[in-house]
Amino acid sequence: MRNHELLRKSLRKVISKNKGLIAGLTLIIAASVFSSLIPPLVLERAVNLLTDYRDVSWGLALLYFLFIVIADILESAQNASITIFGQKVTHGIRSALCEKLGRLPADYFHSHESGKIESIFTNDGDAIDVLYSDGVVSMIADLFKVIGILAVIFTRSPGLGLLVTAVTPLLFLFTRVCQKRANKAQLANRRAIARVNGHVPETLRCIRMIHVLHAEKYMEDTYDGYIRESYDAVEKSNLIDSIYSPVILLTQACVTAVMMVLAAKGDAWRSFFGISVGTAVAMMAYVNKIFAPLENIGMEIQNIQSAAAAIGHINEFLSEPEWNPADSCPEQDACVSFQHVTFGYEKEHPVLNDLSFSVERGEMVTFAGRTGAGKTTIFRLLTGLYEPDSGSVNLAGRCPCSLRPEEKRKVYGYVEQSFAPVPGTVRDQITIYDTGISEEQIRKAVRLAGLEKIIDGLPSGLDTPMDPQQFSRGQLQLLSIARAVVTDPAILLLDEVTASLDAETEARVIRALKNSSEGRTVLTISHRLSAALGSTRIIEISEQGKNTSSEI
Amino acid sequence: MHTNTREPDHPDRIRSYFKAEIPVLIVVTVSGLIYNVGMLAGPYFEGRLAQCLYDIIRGKAVLRDMGVLAAAYVAVIFLVQLMRAVKRFGVRRFANNVSRSMRRCLYNSLVHASQKELAEEGLGQLLTKAIADVDSCVEGMRKFTTEIFDTGVVMVAYIGMLVYYDWRLAILSCIFSPAAYFAADRLKKNVTAANAAYKKSAASLSGQTMDRIGNALTYRVYGREENRNEKYEEALADYEKKSAAANLFEGSMTPLYDAIAMFGAVMVIYFGARNVNGTGWTPWNIAAFTTFLACFTKLAVKASHAAKLFNAVQKASVSWHRIQPLMKDPVKDTPDAADAPVEKASLAFRHVSCGYDGADYLRDLNFTVRPGEIVGVTGEIASGKSLLGKVLIGEAPYKGMILVGGKDFRTLTEEEKRSLITWMGHDPELLNLSIAENVSLGSPVDTGFFLKMTAMDADLEAMQRTEHGKAGEAGTMLSGGQQERVALARTLAHARSVLILDDPFAAVDKTTETKILQSIREYCGDRTILILSHRLWHFPEFNHVLYLHDGTGTFLPHEKMLEQEPGYRTLFREQMKGGDYDEKS
Repeated sequence: MRNHELLRKSLRKVISKNKGLIAGLTLIIAASVFSSLIPPLVLERAVNLLTDYRDVSWGLALLYFLFIVIADILESAQNASITIFGQKVTHGIRSALCEKLGRLPADYFHSHESGKIESIFTNDGDAIDVLYSDGVVSMIADLFKVIGILAVIFTRSPGLGLLVTAVTPLLFLFTRVCQKRANKAQLANRRAIARVNGHVPETLRCIRMIHVLHAEKYMEDTYDGYIRESYDAVEKSNLIDSIYSPVILLTQACVTAVMMVLAAKGDAWRSFFGISVGTAVAMMAYVNKIFAPLENIGMEIQNIQSAAAAIGHINEFLSEPEWNPADSCPEQDACVSFQHVTFGYEKEHPVLNDLSFSVERGEMVTFAGRTGAGKTTIFRLLTGLYEPDSGSVNLAGRCPCSLRPEEKRKVYGYVEQSFAPVPGTVRDQITIYDTGISEEQIRKAVRLAGLEKIIDGLPSGLDTPMDPQQFSRGQLQLLSIARAVVTDPAILLLDEVTASLDAETEARVIRALKNSSEGRTVLTISHRLSAALGSTRIIEISEQGKNTSSEI
Repeated sequence: MHTNTREPDHPDRIRSYFKAEIPVLIVVTVSGLIYNVGMLAGPYFEGRLAQCLYDIIRGKAVLRDMGVLAAAYVAVIFLVQLMRAVKRFGVRRFANNVSRSMRRCLYNSLVHASQKELAEEGLGQLLTKAIADVDSCVEGMRKFTTEIFDTGVVMVAYIGMLVYYDWRLAILSCIFSPAAYFAADRLKKNVTAANAAYKKSAASLSGQTMDRIGNALTYRVYGREENRNEKYEEALADYEKKSAAANLFEGSMTPLYDAIAMFGAVMVIYFGARNVNGTGWTPWNIAAFTTFLACFTKLAVKASHAAKLFNAVQKASVSWHRIQPLMKDPVKDTPDAADAPVEKASLAFRHVSCGYDGADYLRDLNFTVRPGEIVGVTGEIASGKSLLGKVLIGEAPYKGMILVGGKDFRTLTEEEKRSLITWMGHDPELLNLSIAENVSLGSPVDTGFFLKMTAMDADLEAMQRTEHGKAGEAGTMLSGGQQERVALARTLAHARSVLILDDPFAAVDKTTETKILQSIREYCGDRTILILSHRLWHFPEFNHVLYLHDGTGTFLPHEKMLEQEPGYRTLFREQMKGGDYDEKS
């Protein structure tokens, strides 16, 4: 087995936080196991009375019922507390996953589909819930039940006890074989399900292209292919599932048959099987009872098995290398500077090669170069998302990676290529939930971005719930600008802001940018902006990621 | 393993899904009946075994009798369990098939819905939700099919057996089962309310998860990660509470029903014992006593599960009612239309007015583009360049007359429009498949050729990748410019008579642009091409220019346009000046 140290750590945290719950859980399980052992013994007594031609009293009949009710209530309590425990564990793990998000390098998000990461939180998280509620904990309860029943059987009928003890390991061997196969199928299914689920949003995103290029049939076939993949895997595990329980129950019948035949063989055997007719009836009830938890254990092991994939994903995610940037770099006078920076997303393929430049306070600079020359990469380094492989990056006298989260927005404002809406109100789009931003600041940002009219036109102004469908692309870009300048940063970073704008607001976006640029150092990688914003210095990034700085 | 599943006749009727699966259901029915009636064998034989032992002790039977009985017991159980395996597998196969045809039906609607229906009318969201609902609906259908046998049939069989042994005691002991149902019904409201709260919390958590991950880098750049983590923690706490409550209600009920129903056991033991001793209603032996008690116990357990059956059916019907209105007869494609030979067709606008909301953004457009010609369309920002493309893919209204290949655009069917016009928008719209698959879209085209046309071959080589490498989700494994060029390669590979390229070179440098344009000229020599762009470097080479300004358009060759339109002149001059730096690379 792989080392699941990180997962265990979060589990230990949950356990130590919920000691009371766990003590209660243990107590309830013990009581539940004990109480479920009693009714067959009452039954034994009743049958033995009958074979002696005596009547069964109301009291004994009621006693039988009473013990069944107690056992039921305790089982109920057991289910409830196991559920709660499972939820606590899942909660703990999801919290750990969420915290981990903040420590992952930016590269992780660029190289992993968000849908796949989500599925670790949702699907794999749920699998962990099942793992504990319908897996580990109920398995422990069932194991206790098996041991309890075995103990009773041994006291009444050593022969049957030996018989059952002999059969059990064989059944477990069988269980193992089934599980291994089921697990493999489960894994394949999970992969296929992820593709099936991802296909629908993808279709919505690409619907124009699908229509124009007549790709409907192709998309349907692709979808069907994913579904089939998933079902082929599911059928394999279904087959195992359909065989497993019948085998167990058949074994149960065999054990009962052998016990009865041997008990019938003569007095010596009968005493070894300890059997009066009453005991025989009680023992049959126990054999029925012992195989139920055994069957459950089988299923629980399968649950645990199918969660193995989820554990693997979660553990893999938790052990992803974390983002630990160096937090110091040489002091620089310039407002923004790159000193002999070499950087590549993969070390062997540097995107930037020994790049140096510096930008003075209040300057306006455009990075130019062929697509793929690394212009966006420069911004990723400046916002501290990545760290240079060698050389140093400097932003307002600081190393961008060393900026504390709360400092970032004071140092730079970043207008992304396309606006990323966040859930909440229109105000939240601008503040990103920062309650430290004053109403005055928000109003100023709205003004700079030229959003006043648009926001006044909304039903409840800034407090209108955000619906990106209600905004044109250009208007979203204006929101993005307001978001960038609301904290009054000294440096403004403009990505290809107008690259995909086609609507009437493009002019307004540029006007807003002009207004917002005043008194700030502005860096942009947009060809078009450089012309629109007025005189700028151009820094040329050549194909090898070096600069051939030139000024226009 | 799969045969092609039969499609249901009426996708909006649940019954037709059962109908389409008749062969599987026959197998399920036969095996289910044998299995469930066979379930009686257990208690019956166990009673007989105890009796036989009693007889042997009293000297009324011999070992041989026990041997025969035990062998018969094992053989019958084997048959019954075999049937159980067949039934279980059959039911699951049935569920898979239904789920697949439901998904296919919904997806078919999704993929054939217009952009307008999807985005503006919210059909996209509805369908996405419906597809998620399929699972719970089919799960309900599966449980229903399972429980019809495992609960319905088996309960009838058990009750029959009880009545056969002693009808008075049967009635007396079973009187308590309806009480369990009554209790179940009373508690159902709580279960439903707790479930609704749980669903809501789950939806909110899933929304938060998507946002936290999808916008992770935005939150990082803005330093808001901690704040988001706190919010997420709140959602988690709420979810834990609600889900524990929902599970509590649902999971803890069964044992309680069970307890109520089991009250009958008191009757069975007391009166059953009197039967055995000859003082009751019916003379019984020990076998009858144990069989009756075992049968009754199993019946009580089943009765408590029957409540589960209703829950499953109820849940399924809720899901189904959400799905049903969206279930339509599938649209059948004529895949050949896309592969039909491309015929030359000109494009002509005659007094065309068009706009986004009404047809008033651009007025009185007049121009003709002939096969083999390239026309550049430009204008100031927001002059309506993209609008022209939107009109030709039916997303913007127009007045006047548009002729494609001499036919009135208005009279063309969707199919004809698509076989004549190919449009490419700003958004590369790449699929999470390989680069080659993105270009071919399942058609037998020479993907390498088209990737070379758009200069992607050099990029692939530089990245040490091949066209069979993944493009990533939404093309994220490629840079913006590369995505644009893969999209262009795809468009060219499927190009029909009229080609409208909206800003195809936005993220491409000038050298590459020149190269690509050259190959378009070579390969698409007989097509009618409209390039909507703000980059004018190549406009001098185009056959004509359509300059959009002041709510209308002027259609002239480049040189004449320079002379006549001062606005165009300014645009062009500025670009030539500003574009200098790009020349060097």
